[in-house]
Amino acid sequence: MSLPAVALAKEGWLRQAAFIFLLALVPAAWSAFFSPVRVSWTRVVQGEVSLAVVRSWNPKEVLWVDARPTAEFDADHIPDAVSLNLEGWNQRFPQFLDRWQPGVKTVVYCSSTSCNLSAEVADRLRHSSINQVYVLSGGWEAWLKDSGREPTKSQ
Amino acid sequence: MRWTLLLPLLLTGSALGADLHWDTETQSFETKPGDQELVAHYRFTNTGSTPVTIDQVKTSCGCTTAELTKKTYGPGESGEIVVRFNLEGRSGATEKSIVVTTGDPQKSNTYLHLKVNIPEAVHLEPTILLWRVGDQPETKDLHITVDPRFPTKVTDVESDSSDIKVEIQTVKPGQDLNVKVTPKNLSQPEGATLVIRTDYPTENPQSFYAYIRIK
Repeated sequence: MSLPAVALAKEGWLRQAAFIFLLALVPAAWSAFFSPVRVSWTRVVQGEVSLAVVRSWNPKEVLWVDARPTAEFDADHIPDAVSLNLEGWNQRFPQFLDRWQPGVKTVVYCSSTSCNLSAEVADRLRHSSINQVYVLSGGWEAWLKDSGREPTKSQ
Repeated sequence: MRWTLLLPLLLTGSALGADLHWDTETQSFETKPGDQELVAHYRFTNTGSTPVTIDQVKTSCGCTTAELTKKTYGPGESGEIVVRFNLEGRSGATEKSIVVTTGDPQKSNTYLHLKVNIPEAVHLEPTILLWRVGDQPETKDLHITVDPRFPTKVTDVESDSSDIKVEIQTVKPGQDLNVKVTPKNLSQPEGATLVIRTDYPTENPQSFYAYIRIK
C-alpha cells in the first residue's frame, strides 16, 4: 500500500471512531442528566461529620447513637453509645431520651460508609424535634480504624 | 467509506445488549397505616440467546430482603425477584435499592428501585414536651390531628405518670384534639409517656406516643 493510501485509511478509521464516540455520547448524556433513576455522583447525607470533628468536641456534650442492628451493638459499640434503630423505636426512644440532654450533640453511626441506617435514624430524631443531630462519616468502621482495630467479619 | 469498524461494533453491541429484560426497574407504593410489610415483585425475562446467571442480589438496607427462586435462566425464560420491606418504625417517603449482579460483562449490575410512601394516620405536634428542673410548671399543648384519608378516631389519651396532669380539649370529636399537659412540680428530673390510642386499623389498632421529660 502506498503512503497516501495508508493515510487515507487511517483518516477513515479515525472518522469512524469519532462517529462511534459521538453516537455513544448522546444516550450517555441523556442518561447522566435526564434519566429519572440516575445514580448521583456523590451521596449527600444531611449533617454528616467526620470523626476528627467529633473528637474536637467536648465529650460531655456528645451522645453517641448506634443505629446498627441490636446484635451488632451487643457484640461491641462505641463506649456509652445508646442503641436506637427504627425496629423497636417506641421501646428504645424513651431510653434515648433518658440519656439525651438539651444542648448535646447527637452523633448517629451505623456499620460503614455504605450503610444508610444512621441517616434514617438521624432523620427520625430530627422529625422528633431533637436538635443538633449528626451522622458519623464512615460509621463504626471509621471509629475502629481510628482506634487501631480492624472490623471482624460479622461487622 | 467502508464502515469496517462501525459495522462489527454495532452487530456485536446488539447481540450483547440482549440480556435480562425487566418489566420495570422502579416501583412506587403507598402503604396503609398499620401495614407491617410491603412485598414487591420485580419480573424479568431472558431475552438473549444464551443462559443468564444471577450471581448476587444485594439490598441497600437490613430492612429489605430479596428472594430469588433460582439463579440461572435460559433464553426466553422468565423469573422474578421478591423484595420484602419491613415497615416497622418507618414513616414518610423512603427509597430502597436492590443491586442485581449477573455474569454479563456488558451490564453486570442492574439497580432496582423501590419507592415507598408510608403515611401515618395520626400526627402529633410536638412529640416531646420538655421542662427544665426548677422552672415554673407551666402548661404545654400537645396537638393531635387525624389524617382525614383514614377512618381513624382517637379513643383515649393516657399518661403513665400520676405526676403529670393531662386535660383533653376536643376540637373535633376523635379527629382533632388539644391536650393540655402540666407537671405537678419541676423539682427533680422525671420522665413520662402519653399513650394516644386509636381504633384503626380495626384488626390491630395503632397507638402513638408523646414523651414528657423534665431535665
